Amino acid sequence: MRRFAPVSVLVVVVLALCAPAGGAQGAPVKLGVPVPLSGGSAEAGQDILNGARLAADQANARGGVLGRQIEIVSADDACDAQQGVTAAQKLVDAGVVAVAGGYCSSAALPESGVFHTAGVAFVADASTNPQLTEQGFDNVFRDIGRDDQQGPFAANFMVDDLHAHRIAIVHDNTVYAKGLAEATRTALAGKPGVHVVFFDAITPGEKDFTATLTRIKSLRPDVLYFTGYYAEGGLLARQFKALRVPGEFMAGDANNDPTFIKEAGAAADGVLVTSAPLAQFLPEAKAYIAAYRAKYGHAPGPYSAYEYDAVNITIAAIKRANTTDRAAIIKALARTTDFKGITGTISFNAKGDRAGVNYMVLEIRDGEFTAYRAAA
Amino acid sequence: MDVALQQLVNGLTVGAFYALIALGYTMVYGIIRLINFAQGDLYSVGAFIGLSMLSLLAGLHLRNPLVLTALGLVVSMGATGLLGVLIYRVAYRPLLRSPLSILISAIGASLTLEYSLLLIYSPSFLVYPSLFDTGGPALGDLVVSWMQVTIFLVSLALMLALYVLVHRTKLGLAMRALAINQDAARLMGIDVSRVIAATFFVGSALAAFGGVMTGLYYGQISFLMGFLAGLKAFTAAVLGGIGNIPGAMLGGFIVGIVESLATGYISGRWKDVVTFGILILILVVRPRGLLGERVVERM
Repeated sequence: MRRFAPVSVLVVVVLALCAPAGGAQGAPVKLGVPVPLSGGSAEAGQDILNGARLAADQANARGGVLGRQIEIVSADDACDAQQGVTAAQKLVDAGVVAVAGGYCSSAALPESGVFHTAGVAFVADASTNPQLTEQGFDNVFRDIGRDDQQGPFAANFMVDDLHAHRIAIVHDNTVYAKGLAEATRTALAGKPGVHVVFFDAITPGEKDFTATLTRIKSLRPDVLYFTGYYAEGGLLARQFKALRVPGEFMAGDANNDPTFIKEAGAAADGVLVTSAPLAQFLPEAKAYIAAYRAKYGHAPGPYSAYEYDAVNITIAAIKRANTTDRAAIIKALARTTDFKGITGTISFNAKGDRAGVNYMVLEIRDGEFTAYRAAA
Repeated sequence: MDVALQQLVNGLTVGAFYALIALGYTMVYGIIRLINFAQGDLYSVGAFIGLSMLSLLAGLHLRNPLVLTALGLVVSMGATGLLGVLIYRVAYRPLLRSPLSILISAIGASLTLEYSLLLIYSPSFLVYPSLFDTGGPALGDLVVSWMQVTIFLVSLALMLALYVLVHRTKLGLAMRALAINQDAARLMGIDVSRVIAATFFVGSALAAFGGVMTGLYYGQISFLMGFLAGLKAFTAAVLGGIGNIPGAMLGGFIVGIVESLATGYISGRWKDVVTFGILILILVVRPRGLLGERVVERM
């Protein structure tokens, strides 16, 4: 038996040398996508995941990255901080080389901490809370605007275009909604003759907001700006019309989902939504919309185009880094300049935010999101 | 004044839903002293079965909203009632003698229902067809829809019917006998298991009625909708004096109105703090709840 020992050691050594090297050549490169797949924002999450898969499929058809296929690994964060941490840890443990995704800021913020600790890049496609890129984390990027940009945009629109003087702001106490509400209030504070007559929260998951709306009605607002998510937004719009609250109903960019319209029904007509440009308003996104429709059979949802870009930016960074080393990918992502995406040209600034973002106002007309045009 | 009245209407509407769910909590507790945590989820199940039924009937080109609603309600209440009985048979009956295990079993039943709905229907919310418009009687600035009036009146009628069932029928007599002493009731020839099953059926069917009406009125249902509503309904049942039927109704309306007034006059963010603060206060002063004075003879 003794004689065989050196041979078996040799075999073990050879196997040990071959197995990881040979495996890595063929093993897919894993990209993580944390999104809500259950709860009120599940549709938005599924659309984002679809966008990521489409980007990966197209890249794989062109030969993948560094000669390897790309595999999308998803995890359900349910828009919840605790579940977000679990989802992020799950992705890290699954061996993802980078992460592109997220929807609710309340989940994305704690997730970013997990990714930072693990040294994994995180490109956010829809989480707009400013805090995300203000933590001093070098691994966090985002290809969408921040709520301290959306808030002032909404404030200017309400005052300049709608000529509003009395403004009611409703949030839902989540990180995103509260942040956007406060950014809007701050932006309105300096404007002469403008009063924020109402600033309060509703409880997500509830269905009856008539008590809040009755109070708002008694304050006679020119505009009500709701900064929460579409699950409550649709109900709120419906009850807003039913209670005959005066003024315009306007909502933040978590209400640009088609489900909002389905839920609000006839009450959706005339609702205004501040939003990053949707895919249908982006000239470069035509092919993307067609490919998405062909693959999934419905419209791409508000954030899947941003996710598609986020995944492609990450793939481009892996190519530039010429390795799947997590730290090298972070360094390469930070050097993203003039990336030609379907949502426009993308460069990341020192904080990891997208430089030069646009917002637009959508108006729901006949059950469709259309670009707002001032009434003649 | 208009605003206060409007808040009262808002509160009564929400309160009617709480009361419908609270009745199930209170009936089951009255008979077997179990907090049936699945009660709120039976309300969700009712809403989903109602939606399935409405979709099915729409597929058969039925258009009359009243017929649709009536059929949806009957099927949903019947099916949810049977589900309630099934849960009792499977999850509660074997554990009737071990109060702690049965409570855990109830939590298990609740989670099972929630995540079955997630898997069978949707992880997100679903939208109900809007069968009725939001029109209502012209009362100046006060907005009340016919639908709200109907929900309120039918809920009251159902609660009254339940009261009559418990206090004026043989089944009700058996229920009350059970509540006082199960063994004595069994010795008197009462089929204990059947009476408990009947209680579960009635409680679940009432929750299903609330679920379908929620869908029709608010237009949106989700697998987790029973969680928050169930919590508030449980609060209502305790507030009214758990085990007491008029107490559950009163508790439901009080919780609804307090929430509405707290939102309207203090702040939406403080609503739950105020509601539960009042609950604690009432329970400190009256540990048995508002109408729960006769502990021995519950219901």
